[in-house]
Amino acid sequence: MKKIAFAVELDRCIGCKGCQVACKMENHLPLGTNRTSVKEIGPTGEYPNIQMYFLPAMCQQCENPTCVKVCPTGACHVNPEDGVIEIDRDKCIGCKSCIRACPYEAISFNEELHVSDKCDVCALRRLTGNLPACVKNCTGGALHVGDLNDPNSDVSKLIADAGEENVYSLRDFGNGPSVKYILKNDKWLDVLPQECVSVRRGKRK
Amino acid sequence: MSKEDFLAATNMAVNLTLDGDSQTKFVDASQASEDDGDTVKIIKTACRACISNCGVLATVKNGRVIHLEGNPEDPMSNGHMCAKGLSGIQALYNPNRNKYPLIRVGKRGENKWKRISWKEAIDTIAHKLMAAKKDFGAESVFCSTGGGGNPEFWSISRFCNIFGTPNWFEPGCAQCYLPRMCVYDMMYGGTNASIADSNAQEIYFAHDTKMKSLVLWGADPSYSSPASGGSALVNLRAHGVKTVVIDPRMTPDAAKADVWLPVRPGSDVALQLAWIRYIIDHKLYNHDFVMKWTNLPYLVNVETKLEWRAAKSSDSNQPDTFMVWDQKTNAPQPLAYPWNEDLDVALEGTFVINGVTYKTGFQLLKERVEAYTLEEAAKICWVPQDKIEAAILTFTNNMPGGLCIGVATDQSPNSAQAAMAAGIIDMLMGDVERPGALLQRFGSAGATNMIGYCVPPAQSKLPDEQLKKRLGTIEHKGLHMWLAGHAPSVLHAIETGDPYPLRVWLERSGNKLVNLADSQRWAKATEKVDFIVHMYMYPTSFSAYADMLLPTEEWLETDMIVETCNKLMARQAVTHLWETIDETVIWSKLAKRCAELGHEGCRKAFDAEYMGDDLPYWDSMEELLDANLKNTKFTWQQLKAEAPVEYMSEKEYRSYYTYLKPNAAGQPQGFPTPSKKLELYLESMITLGRTGQPYSHCELPAASQDYDPLPYYEEPYESPLPGSKMAAEYPLVMTNGRIPYYHHGTLRNVAWTRELYPAPEVWIHPQAAKKYGVQDDQWIWVESLRGKVRGIAHITSGINPGSVYMERFWAPENLNSKTHGWQEMNVNVLARSKGPYNDVFGTYTLRGYLVKIYPAPEGAPEGVYLEPKEFKSFLATPSAKTPDMTKGETV
Repeated sequence: MKKIAFAVELDRCIGCKGCQVACKMENHLPLGTNRTSVKEIGPTGEYPNIQMYFLPAMCQQCENPTCVKVCPTGACHVNPEDGVIEIDRDKCIGCKSCIRACPYEAISFNEELHVSDKCDVCALRRLTGNLPACVKNCTGGALHVGDLNDPNSDVSKLIADAGEENVYSLRDFGNGPSVKYILKNDKWLDVLPQECVSVRRGKRK
Repeated sequence: MSKEDFLAATNMAVNLTLDGDSQTKFVDASQASEDDGDTVKIIKTACRACISNCGVLATVKNGRVIHLEGNPEDPMSNGHMCAKGLSGIQALYNPNRNKYPLIRVGKRGENKWKRISWKEAIDTIAHKLMAAKKDFGAESVFCSTGGGGNPEFWSISRFCNIFGTPNWFEPGCAQCYLPRMCVYDMMYGGTNASIADSNAQEIYFAHDTKMKSLVLWGADPSYSSPASGGSALVNLRAHGVKTVVIDPRMTPDAAKADVWLPVRPGSDVALQLAWIRYIIDHKLYNHDFVMKWTNLPYLVNVETKLEWRAAKSSDSNQPDTFMVWDQKTNAPQPLAYPWNEDLDVALEGTFVINGVTYKTGFQLLKERVEAYTLEEAAKICWVPQDKIEAAILTFTNNMPGGLCIGVATDQSPNSAQAAMAAGIIDMLMGDVERPGALLQRFGSAGATNMIGYCVPPAQSKLPDEQLKKRLGTIEHKGLHMWLAGHAPSVLHAIETGDPYPLRVWLERSGNKLVNLADSQRWAKATEKVDFIVHMYMYPTSFSAYADMLLPTEEWLETDMIVETCNKLMARQAVTHLWETIDETVIWSKLAKRCAELGHEGCRKAFDAEYMGDDLPYWDSMEELLDANLKNTKFTWQQLKAEAPVEYMSEKEYRSYYTYLKPNAAGQPQGFPTPSKKLELYLESMITLGRTGQPYSHCELPAASQDYDPLPYYEEPYESPLPGSKMAAEYPLVMTNGRIPYYHHGTLRNVAWTRELYPAPEVWIHPQAAKKYGVQDDQWIWVESLRGKVRGIAHITSGINPGSVYMERFWAPENLNSKTHGWQEMNVNVLARSKGPYNDVFGTYTLRGYLVKIYPAPEGAPEGVYLEPKEFKSFLATPSAKTPDMTKGETV
């Protein structure tokens, strides 16, 4: 079976968040709803010897997706054609079970449509032979997408060429995140996306 | 629509009901089809959300732009687009666009406006201009522009020259780009190495460049131009190019650098002088290149500071003949251009000849940097000594390389010296015009006078007696390169009438009150101006102080020729909305009306013979662009249809070693400088200060002091160093710098970008945060001698512990409040527009002044939007294409 998912070269991500805006335009997302979010990992270390890298965080297209397991209506499902986890908006009742179940907080709630909303790797664009909007516009060329189960796909080759020691996944809670992060020039830190402040709104009193 | 509130006029009043899901009305390109009778076109255009020109594919359905993505044919951005560019649709269809000319009907600041016709608007302004000219002289009219929002800078300058006023200004200029552009022009004669200004084009050929190292000095392409420069940097690093970043803030490029030097803001020149000293001391420079292709071996009279000439040349292809010290004969000898192998030329030394002391330029440079040991620089610049050494060696051990100097050093009074020192470092290493270097004279289609601009400024049309009145420019003559006045001197003249009154202000740019230092003085000064026009795409804080608003075009509505490496692209109007007009045509209409009212200079500006290469004024952009394309095989219509087109091969475009190409006499042609050598000892600074040459078209009285031909370091006036009384109360040094969601003052009115960054962060090191009792994500006050504003604390070790970082900000949601949106979170309320100024350019202090920080228990400023949903009223409202009257389109 195919498994379409992202491979991300973190050394190439420059934190510009263009992917977030490309995604918003492509998928007509309302304000406050995001399918991807670029996180700053760090800085860590003792000034001035510090490191920081950026982590684009989106649906990890898990092998054992908890979001699919908990969905009471079958709206959240794995597309058998490509292995991509999708939400069928007609079936979604907006119970937010999937949002609570996702270990990476990668599912957003679309308040306008009252449904859960997540990255489907730009299913519509892929249908017409186009790359997902984030991949297409990624300024650093960090984002790649392809069939991780096909050893001859470009992404599989990219991952193989990177060397096992440089390929990482987000923390695995038994859900088997598929997205591969390649990082060579900094030390990988086991940080969950939701542990990073993404936008400061002056919440602390 | 007749009389109404101006925010209502621009659909931004709070009572306006906006369709909740208006953004979902955009139809995806892949969904749109021609089957249902719709016309769907993909138009190749070019972005102008910043000053890059990234190629764009705009999908247009029935005249409405519905989708944007990058065009892979662009050799600089390769099909990538950033947050700013992708937000173009939101900017274009912003509900608060200026839609029609509006004239004020209430008191200033009340925001009561009436719609008028363009004819009435132009007629009203022209009468005000003519009356001011008659009563107070043409110089009492002043104009301004500024970066951000797709301005055509030279259209302002041109109008001023033709109308007869010497006074236009912009917040950048002496504070952004002019110092670097002018200094590199004087020292080298080619383009400077600013990546954000689309120079340094060697970086776009990562696949086969010979570059081995790159220094980014106060430059962060990842944040300023993510899709072009930022992307190029990613490729260079991936190809093994070593990078050094000098920046108080850990930008993405700093995070990915081999060495990061978090320098104290405002102290850069001290660090540069230490680099030069180290390079000289350790003989790391390219000796042969320095001898043969720089002026450092030439003898300088230490009294006059002028080079000793054996003979003057009357042939412009031949430089004067300069004297050197010949070690073979132990005597001074003339050095015939370009070089004489028979002489044993001394690079350093002091020589007393007939009682007159001469030193070589190299000797003078060596003495100048003598005090700047690594140890001393570490103390002054707050960077560890071993890091400085590692940075220098990363560069010098990896040649060829290049040094890109960004805007940071343009923003404090050491501006000229920083550009000179940066040039010296690159030139000492021989990184000029060889493969892998940033300083290049690559090919050009010759279709624009500066990348992104095509209006000839017509500088010779300004009468000499008017030029001499240009405010602040006898003292700061470097401003004449841009034909611009000195912003603080303009402010002083408005406030005091000294040396003459300023009565009519035509302003075309974003938020002047956010982009100029000392905002509150400017706001107050507007009371002294009789008539103020604001031309922009949407109202800003400044609009509240204006008497008339004119609607200009968003980049998706404009036409421009774009040179991108070896390709010509076309920014072309993909739609047109409301009654917006391209600004170059607005200025043309003003000139025409003034001509009709009897202005002789304006009348002659329509005479093709009189105007010559300066071009007669035009009625449409097409006329202007066709004139610019005359040396190519295209008309504007053809270019629009065919662009991007390759105007020369990549090989021909990347023309290295231009200085070695033969001149008519068969010698290497050298560099376009007076000596044909790289002028590291910049003697022409003395000429500039004394006469205005080569930039002023008439001789001007001398500045009070000669400009220095070599870089020198001056400690910032508001110094934090031990002994500073000011630092006891204001202990931290302020710096600014880009974020990738905004360009200058733009896009704060766009929901997609504000959602990502709703209010300004203040970066504070954990040590400072602890000391001053502030916590992460807390609203704090930032206060200088001039005022205080609020921002959100971002506690990070990615900032020099003695510095804080904050970026310009305004709140369009507060335009109708008493603050008009500029007073709450605007760092330039704190910045310093008073002296000391840079001698050459008059640069004031936007960075490197002192502040203090403390918690703001009040929290966020009143009315400021912070949550994503609050920006709903900013979301695009689709509107139909309207006829563009300047293109002869009718309803």
